[in-house]
Amino acid sequence: MSIKAFDLVPAIERIKLMSDKAKTQIECFDVCGKNLYIGTNDCFVIHYNVEERPVGNGPKVVFHNEKQGHKYLAVKKPVIQIKAASALNRIMVLIDNTLSLLNMFDLEICVALKKKQIQVYTVTEDKLVHVKDVHISEPAISVGVDGSFVCAALLSQYCMINYETSHTQDLFPFDSEHSKPLIKRISKEEFLLSGPSALGMFVTSDGISQRPPLQWSENIVSMTYVHPYIVAMNDEFITVHSILDQQQKQAIPFQGGTYLGNFDGKLFVASGREIYALVPVAWEKQVQALLGDKRVTEALDLAKNANKAGLTRDKFLKIFKRFQQQAAFIEFSEGHLEEAMDLFKNSQVDVREVISLYPRLLPSNCNFTRSVPPLHEMADVNQLSRGKEDLLKEYKQFLCTYLADIKGTGTGYKQVRNRYSVVKTICRDRLPELIPLIAVDTGCDLKDSVEWLEKYKRYNALGLLYKVHGEHDKALALWVKICNSEVEDESFEGINFIIEYLANLNDHELVWKYVDWVLSKDQENGVRIFTDRPTTEPPSERMRPDTVIDYLHRFPIAVITYLEYLVFQKKLEVEKEKYHTHLAVLYLDAVLKLIKTNNVKKEEMDKARSKLRYILQMSNLYRVQLILGKAKETEMHAECAILYGKLEEHDKALRILVHKLKDFGAAENYCLVNSHGKDSSFRKRLFHILLSVLQSLPENWSVSLVSQFLNRAIRKSMNNSRTTRIERMMSRGENLQVKQNIIEIQKEFVTMNDDRMCAVCSRAFNDTAFVRYPNGVVTHVHCAKNKHICPVTGKLFSTKRS
Amino acid sequence: MATPEIKKKADLKVIILGEYSVGKTCFVNRYIEGKFGKTEATIGAAFFLKQWGPYNVAVWDTAGDERFSGLSSFYCRNAGAAILAFDLCIENTFETLKSRFVPLVDQATEDNCLKVIVGTKLDLLEPSKRKVTVDEARKYSREINPNIEYAKLKHDPYFETSSLQGINVDEVFEYIFGHCLPLSDVERIKMKNKTRGTVDLGESTAMTPEKKGGCC
Ligand SMILES: Nc1nc2c(ncn2[C@@H]2O[C@H](COP(=O)(O)OP(=O)(O)O)[C@@H](O)[C@H]2O)c(=O)[nH]1
Ligand SMILES: [Mg+2]
Repeated sequence: MSIKAFDLVPAIERIKLMSDKAKTQIECFDVCGKNLYIGTNDCFVIHYNVEERPVGNGPKVVFHNEKQGHKYLAVKKPVIQIKAASALNRIMVLIDNTLSLLNMFDLEICVALKKKQIQVYTVTEDKLVHVKDVHISEPAISVGVDGSFVCAALLSQYCMINYETSHTQDLFPFDSEHSKPLIKRISKEEFLLSGPSALGMFVTSDGISQRPPLQWSENIVSMTYVHPYIVAMNDEFITVHSILDQQQKQAIPFQGGTYLGNFDGKLFVASGREIYALVPVAWEKQVQALLGDKRVTEALDLAKNANKAGLTRDKFLKIFKRFQQQAAFIEFSEGHLEEAMDLFKNSQVDVREVISLYPRLLPSNCNFTRSVPPLHEMADVNQLSRGKEDLLKEYKQFLCTYLADIKGTGTGYKQVRNRYSVVKTICRDRLPELIPLIAVDTGCDLKDSVEWLEKYKRYNALGLLYKVHGEHDKALALWVKICNSEVEDESFEGINFIIEYLANLNDHELVWKYVDWVLSKDQENGVRIFTDRPTTEPPSERMRPDTVIDYLHRFPIAVITYLEYLVFQKKLEVEKEKYHTHLAVLYLDAVLKLIKTNNVKKEEMDKARSKLRYILQMSNLYRVQLILGKAKETEMHAECAILYGKLEEHDKALRILVHKLKDFGAAENYCLVNSHGKDSSFRKRLFHILLSVLQSLPENWSVSLVSQFLNRAIRKSMNNSRTTRIERMMSRGENLQVKQNIIEIQKEFVTMNDDRMCAVCSRAFNDTAFVRYPNGVVTHVHCAKNKHICPVTGKLFSTKRS
Repeated sequence: MATPEIKKKADLKVIILGEYSVGKTCFVNRYIEGKFGKTEATIGAAFFLKQWGPYNVAVWDTAGDERFSGLSSFYCRNAGAAILAFDLCIENTFETLKSRFVPLVDQATEDNCLKVIVGTKLDLLEPSKRKVTVDEARKYSREINPNIEYAKLKHDPYFETSSLQGINVDEVFEYIFGHCLPLSDVERIKMKNKTRGTVDLGESTAMTPEKKGGCC
């Protein structure tokens, strides 16, 4: 499939020479700005000035040329190659194995020579500096260069040479005697070569290919690359291939072409005696042409890869989006709905453009006219479906999905008044998909929609609609009705939805209106209305903890949950004592209640008591005496022990633990817990109190009787303590040993010689002293500002001493 | 024509080689597009990108014609796996694998390149006309992979396939990827959820009897 990518425009018709000998032929040329240099078969270099001028206002151009001068190089051999080095004001000319430098403007000569192996030179204004030789197996016929890589055509094959490492890699065989080897660098580390069987082969400097080859015609004599096209030429044609899909896009008849090249984006072609320019057709035009042929993928690929020179990103995106929109309508008209959907979404097309394809859908008060120039030529979907009901239905479904997907965000969407009626007309039987649409869209006419949703018994959707319109009371009332099974709608999530809704509703008066109903249905979850409020909500009188607690009295479970929330989660600063005490009392009441009941399961009791003990132990804010009074009455010893601890009455606490509960482990633990974070003398004191258990030994036991036990106990403790110390010291020794090993392993030489420079100031070392950081960075002593921070990488080294 | 994203660097290169007209292009098309269609003679080489979990796989289809031989070895370079295809009905195509393509792969790739022998056009093979026995092909497939750890493979690198009926085509690629680009469980699940539903179960379950015992 073809496309017009270039126009052929004459640039120099008939070269003007000194002697107008008919035999003179163009061999090669180079362009540099407005300067065009031609090398001829009879050893002339001719300098022209060529200028591009627009014709009228259109995209057409013509070229004006003026001869500036010429030079006869007096060896009577053809000029093989010519290259302008504008930075040096020189042109390089290759004739008969000799490379000459000419001054660009007066064509002066300097001389250098070329040998059989590959030689690399740097060129300066007046000399060639020899850099390197690389030996190759056969003489090279043609080369291309990218960085340190030279891609060379030898007699029988191509190869890739890295002249810095002298590494040579064979690419593939090629018979240079029968076809002309061509090498073109097309991008960083990538070349295009003329391969066997007229293939255009892509090769990277790694010696592999990342794109499939192009199929050219036979006998290509010259080729070049101008993104995204490869332009090649043989005796009869100039052909254009796209590098994107490797397909041929255009063929221009052109007889006797000898050379073509891309000179900073300008393409020139030479036949024997004439030079033409290949003027690129604007990419927008090419894309448009492709779209005209419904070649959507190709068009968008080309647009994406187009040369965006002179376009800001925004501008390009604007153009690109319009192409995408056109493409979307093409896919739509072809019935490729999936593709159309993606393109409509990506291109952010004005939603009304799409809706307007559906007859009588756009409300009459929505004065919308399709974009000019038009994005498509369709009348409407009726025309597209040509009476096929199935297809029409598919198109309608499409709109429904599309509108639901974009969720009211599309361009132009807001301008569609009463778009709800638009949607409902078309989507009568696709309601579930619409619910998310309704839930976010304020553009639906309320009255109309209410009637309609009621008619179809979509109560949940109706609730969402009310919500969007800020009619919270109506919405809640409706949902309550659904929950009470007064009306039915399966899509409603249930009471938890209402709870969440209320928890996020900032109209607190309205919240209170529904709290009663919610809590009497489900106090456990209902309390979330108060505990799950948004953190950003400003405090209000109606939501004060006191008010809430007062209210919650009727709901014992809820009140505990709420207090737990205040105490453990919210950690209020004010009035904390009240809530802590309140919660502790409630826990205590719960335990007391269980004690009074018969046949309580042990787990239930344990759970209740451990909750109580947890708050008693954890909190320091409740009124200890109050709780203690109640706890003592019921002989809750464990709790009493904690409470005495809070009152710092440790002997009482310990006495309970030891004598009443006989839980010595708990007693020891008590000493540890209560001395936590205090100094060791305090801990000793506690244990001393605990030691008073000795008093519980019967009076009549003699000292000698217990001394044996005490001796043994003490010895054991001592032994424990000493063993631990020994272990500790041995570990430390081991640690040192390992550290030493690590140092042994990591230590390395630092060679200091004349080449060694300070990593900070890059000057030589004159002194014997220097600094080496653990990461190997070596600096002057005075350049090492901080021995813990590497001055080069900023790495932080351990400041610990071993 | 599909335009592969060229700039993405492939994590694995798979190349398919074999005599002209043994069905290489059909084989690759069946895998990439999920259907069997008319093909034109491949010129030089063709190229496809395929996503495998988080990896990009480049699949290169080559021309079997002898005049492209030099190119085939160039396109082989850096391949992590090679599919060596022969026509089950034409003995000669198996011999060419031995004489031409296997040496070519050996010379152009690293030692650890996985070489999978694939017999094509199973649907055309009448059992009585079989020239290359399963045992012979299997034995050969093992011989040419001296550096492959067999413990990691389910069976010998030999398959008998039909692109027309969709038999054993995906399996060849999955066998290769399973060896060269093993996926973690998470990646595997992610990929399962993504695969499009074009696999025709009715076709691919039609296993051949020879294939069933395909284990070494
Ligand atoms: N019956 C049958 N024919 C096949 C099969 N695979 C390929 N072919 C045919 O074999 C011929 C060559 O196929 P192609 O893929 O172009 O071969 P290539 O040169 O190796 O790429 C075509 O006519 C295909 O239709 C197959 O599995 N079964
Ligand atoms: Mg093929």
